[in-house]
Amino acid sequence: MNTNGQPVLEAHDLTKTFHTRKEKIEAVRGIDMEIWPGEIFGFLGPNGAGKTTTLRMLSTLLPIESGRAMVSGFDVYKSPHQVRQRIGYVSQLGGSDRLATGREDLLLQGELYGMGRREAEQRADELIEVLDLAEFASRRVQSYSGGQRRRLDIALGIMHRPDVLFLDEPTTGLDPQNRANLWVQISKLREAGTTIFLTTHYLEEADALSNRLAIMDHGQLVAEGTSRQLKQQIAADSVVVSLQEDGAGSEGAMRLLQEQDFVREVSAEPDHLRLYVDDGVTALPRILRLLDRNGMAIKTVTLSEPTLDDVFLRYTGRSLRDAGHPLD
Amino acid sequence: MKTLRDIALLYRRSFVQTFRVPVWLAISFSTPLLYLALFTPLLKSLPGGSEFPPGVNVLEIFLPGILALMAFMSGASAGFSTIFELQAGYTERIRVTPASRLALLIGPILSSLTWTFFFMTMIVVVAEPFGFPIHIAGLLIAYVLLALLMVLFASFSIAVALLTKEINSFAAVVNGINLPLLLLAGILLPLELGPAWMRVIGHFNPLYYVVEADRLLAAGHLWNTTIVEGFLVMVPLTALAVVWATRVYRRAVS
Repeated sequence: MNTNGQPVLEAHDLTKTFHTRKEKIEAVRGIDMEIWPGEIFGFLGPNGAGKTTTLRMLSTLLPIESGRAMVSGFDVYKSPHQVRQRIGYVSQLGGSDRLATGREDLLLQGELYGMGRREAEQRADELIEVLDLAEFASRRVQSYSGGQRRRLDIALGIMHRPDVLFLDEPTTGLDPQNRANLWVQISKLREAGTTIFLTTHYLEEADALSNRLAIMDHGQLVAEGTSRQLKQQIAADSVVVSLQEDGAGSEGAMRLLQEQDFVREVSAEPDHLRLYVDDGVTALPRILRLLDRNGMAIKTVTLSEPTLDDVFLRYTGRSLRDAGHPLD
Repeated sequence: MKTLRDIALLYRRSFVQTFRVPVWLAISFSTPLLYLALFTPLLKSLPGGSEFPPGVNVLEIFLPGILALMAFMSGASAGFSTIFELQAGYTERIRVTPASRLALLIGPILSSLTWTFFFMTMIVVVAEPFGFPIHIAGLLIAYVLLALLMVLFASFSIAVALLTKEINSFAAVVNGINLPLLLLAGILLPLELGPAWMRVIGHFNPLYYVVEADRLLAAGHLWNTTIVEGFLVMVPLTALAVVWATRVYRRAVS
């Protein structure tokens, strides 16, 4: 990851407390993070964890109560105007204008960011192409399907080429096909170098799209790192090897593998060996080479990693899949 | 100048979109027509008190009230769009842009105002053949006063919408305030027809001053204390409402 120069976004000890008549709700309790240019930062957590509140503070929508946040060197609290010029924000609701056509809406967005008419037209056409909006861009937004509207929302968010794009639960409510389509679009943005701050409560989404992610629970970050790093903290990868010849070959292989220092544990199961290793990806070629060199032919080999769900379970004490229903 | 440009952009958006809701256009025009067609005949058969001298057409009393009612209703209902825009996420999206907060408020209001002026003019033109005398200068000044009225209540309505965030509370607050204001302004019939206590309470109602001034202006009077009072009440109140609503746009947690 690019760690030269300035982070695009940094937060230090960010907190937010909501006061109701009866109680005090600490929605965000001291968050620290840095996001670097070109990253897709996945912000993962169950509904109600404080993700959206954090996002709204970072995007100038909610006043920062204590702590500090900087976007491209501008203080979010002190210079909201400069920050707004440099961020894109796509809320869960989207925000496209129902009575406008997609293209009109893009033009308005560009012009509100200070573009001239011609510049806005060029950029709109570019985004219509990139996000595949051509088919419906001249129709009114109220006639769009959920997936089409989501693509327009994202185009609106990047119309002014922001330094960082905030995407709040971009695929919530989409069917699997539209979700997959949107993932492709978001990956394209990543390839084009867009820095994205993505909140989601879908593990697959965080895993598929983000370079680095953080898990938030009860207003705090409970874990942060790349998906791989997080998984490695959890448990070892497992490699399952079955050999061509049974019996004797298997035992020899087991002894051989047990001697390797990158192998934590080997267990023999009826027709295969199960190895626990720290890092399956580097261990696998070594295992293959070792066995090959010793004349042991491999029938099948599978590598399985711990999933993000395991990570989530470990840090929050519950599985994300049943971590509750939307609160808002 | 960024503010002016933003106002123009958001004005254009609202103005163009009005054409896309033809039902709204039809209702906005037919409501005042219905008042004229179905309410004026009732007035004619009222026992002619001192307020209706024999030579005066009832339209001269009644039509300025209708114009004030149009400006007032157009303002008071402005928050309905705001509620829908909040729920569609549009408000939030637009608040994340660097667009001027004043422009977010005033662009759409000025668009509605344009439409209101258009309908008011149509009503005046329709009423003329039925005996409503048109005093151009007076009407123009009345339009300025009614514009202040419209902007005042539109700002108020939009701020209430941003604060209540959902249609039920919003409608309750706005309707709860509208009705007493309307009844105590003499908007359909002059308060002079009522007992003294009504006139006393009326003096605490900003709308009352507008309606009084508006009637005189429409009748061709251009300068007297009632008209000055109308402006003295409306200018500061409207300014206050605009400042307040802009602040709400700046801070609203939607």
